Parts: sequence; structure tokens; C-alpha cells
Amino acid sequence: MSALLAANTSDYSQKMVIDQSDIAADEAAWIGQAQRSDARAFEALYRLHVDKIYGLCLRMTGNVSEAEDSTQEAFIQAWNKMDKFRGESAFATWLHRIAVNTVLGRMRKSKREQDRIQAVAETMPTLPATGDTGELRDLSEAVDKLPSGARHVFVLHAVYGYSHAETASMLGIAAGTSKAQLHRARRLLSQQLTEQGFDA
Amino acid sequence: MTEAKDDKLAEAAQRLATEISPTRDLWPGIADAIATPRRPGWTPMFAQAAAVVMLIAASSAVTYVTVKGPQQAVTQVTPELAFERASFGSHNLGPGFQDARNVLAAELDVELARLSPAARDDVEANLEIVQKAIVDINRALEQDPDNVLLQERLLSAYMDELSVLRRVGGLTRNVMMRNDI
Repeated sequence: MSALLAANTSDYSQKMVIDQSDIAADEAAWIGQAQRSDARAFEALYRLHVDKIYGLCLRMTGNVSEAEDSTQEAFIQAWNKMDKFRGESAFATWLHRIAVNTVLGRMRKSKREQDRIQAVAETMPTLPATGDTGELRDLSEAVDKLPSGARHVFVLHAVYGYSHAETASMLGIAAGTSKAQLHRARRLLSQQLTEQGFDA
Repeated sequence: MTEAKDDKLAEAAQRLATEISPTRDLWPGIADAIATPRRPGWTPMFAQAAAVVMLIAASSAVTYVTVKGPQQAVTQVTPELAFERASFGSHNLGPGFQDARNVLAAELDVELARLSPAARDDVEANLEIVQKAIVDINRALEQDPDNVLLQERLLSAYMDELSVLRRVGGLTRNVMMRNDI
């Protein structure tokens, strides 16, 4: 499989689907090579994880443009920090943490920027393409409308399955706050979805 | 909200897609960005914050020199301030910052002499805490010079220290006003 690295980078994603059983070994090899500044190996890692990271960013921001920018920034930061990845957690988890920090950092950066994003969202109410259908699409839209604190906790805990301790650590809040925000999110979602006739 | 509804919501949330493909290829933008060398180091935000610290220190120093004059007697009432280098990654705040800070430290000695022993003890205790933090963070930065969190904390500690130094000036001026009355 390491021969893949000698192939055209555009072939990576296609071959990775075929060789599912080798993904872990390939990922470890790509990580090592990316740590030695091999951009092609890093592209392979990007192709492997981009859907997970973009999905997380989209769920957290509820905005396609912001999610795209956050995803790019997260991978750029990951590249800059590759030498700090020690394998103590899964590479995907490490990337998730960077993505969460990126989204939060961008949100903190400028309230004006947030206002701009909100204004764009209001004038361009096209829904992010999440792949959810039917009632799940309603739920997805309702999650997008949650206040950011509740939305972030709901996405990390309820959608991505992180524990309250992990969620709290990623968001830089107390575990108790994470639980309170989840309760708030559920209450708000239940209200919204009941109004829409969602059977939850 | 009933427990059954809660469970159904949790179950529905777990079925939401977690992997979503972006509508366009984001790699070209990333490739462009990583084509430049790693380790951005001195970020614009960090540089701005450092500039603010230097500006405060420099303006305080100028105010001191203008108001007090060079002939003011200096009473040494505190031990020499422990002060490590003002380092941020591979960058230093530079001699200008150190000079300005030395002037403020000299002013501190004069100002402290005017305070009551209890107030002086409070100020010295606060300064000791901040300066110990500066030393500790500098040591940690020697091990991990690119740690942005440590760099931000060091900068914050310097700002705290300057804040204490400036407050001491305000305290003694208040004492003098009361004495005048």
C-alpha cells in the first residue's frame, strides 16, 4: 500500500476505498511521512478525513462557507502541528480537537464577523447539504438554529458521541456546563420540532 | 419534555450524518497555504499585543522621566526584581521594553517607600506572584518555545505586572493628596 504514495495524489481517495483493511497501516505511514513535511502524504490524510472534519465544522457552524473556511484552517493548523502528534489519541480525534478549536477561535475572533455570517445566512437561506433526509433533515435544521453554546455541546455529545468530559475538554468548559447545555439544547429542540410536527 | 421524547431525540441525533462531503475541493487552498514554510511563529495578533505592552511601558517611562526628573532620590525597599528574559518563541520584546520596565521598577521603589507597611506588603506579595509566574512561564517556554498558550500567558503576566506597577503609582498619589489636605 505504501506504493500508493508514489501514485498520483488524485488516485488516493479511490484506492483507499478499495483497500479498507489497510487504512490504519496507511494512515500511520502517511502520518510519519507528513511529519517529515511530505505534503503528498498529508493530502492523503486530508482525503481520508475531510468528510469527518467538514461534517463537524458544518454541524458546529451551520454555515457552508464558514465550515469550508474552518475545515481548511483546521487542516493547515494540523500541518503546522504535525510534529506534535504523538499518537496518544487516534489521528481523527486529534484532528477533531483542532477543528473544534478552529471553529471556536474563529467565532471568538470577531463579533462583527459573526454578524456578517448571520446576515449572509439570513439573506441566503439555502440549507447546508448534510445528506439528512425526512425528519432527520428537520432535526438538522433545528440544530442549526440552536444558540452556539447549546449547539456545540449537542453536536459533540449527541451527534458525535463524545462523553461530557470529552465535550467539556474540547470546548473549554466544565462538565456540568456541558450537561446543562445539553439539557437546554434538548428542550429547545423539542419545542422547535413539536411546532414542526416532528414526532420526537 | 418526556423521557421517551428525550430518548427518541437522542436516537435521532445519533442517526444524523457525521461525514459530509464539501461541495468543492478544499485541498487547493490548503496546498497553497502549506507550501510556505511551517511555524508561523510571530502571529499578527501576538505582535499587536506585544506592541501594546511596549507602548504602555514606554509611555509610563516617559511620564515618569518627565514628572519626576533625574535627581529624585531612590530608596531601595524591595529586593531586586527577579526578571527573566521577555521571550516569545524565538522573539524577544527587546531592549526598549527592558529599559522601560527598569525605569518602572525604579519608580516602584520610590512609590513603595511612600506606602504604609501593610499596603507595601500587599503590593510586594502581588508582584511576587506575578513575577514568579513570569519566571515559570519563561522556563516552560524554554522547553516548548512554540507553545502559543504559554506565549499568551507570558504576555498576560507581563501586562498584569505592568498593571500592578501602574496601580502603585496611583496609590501613592492618592496618599499624597490626602497628606496635602
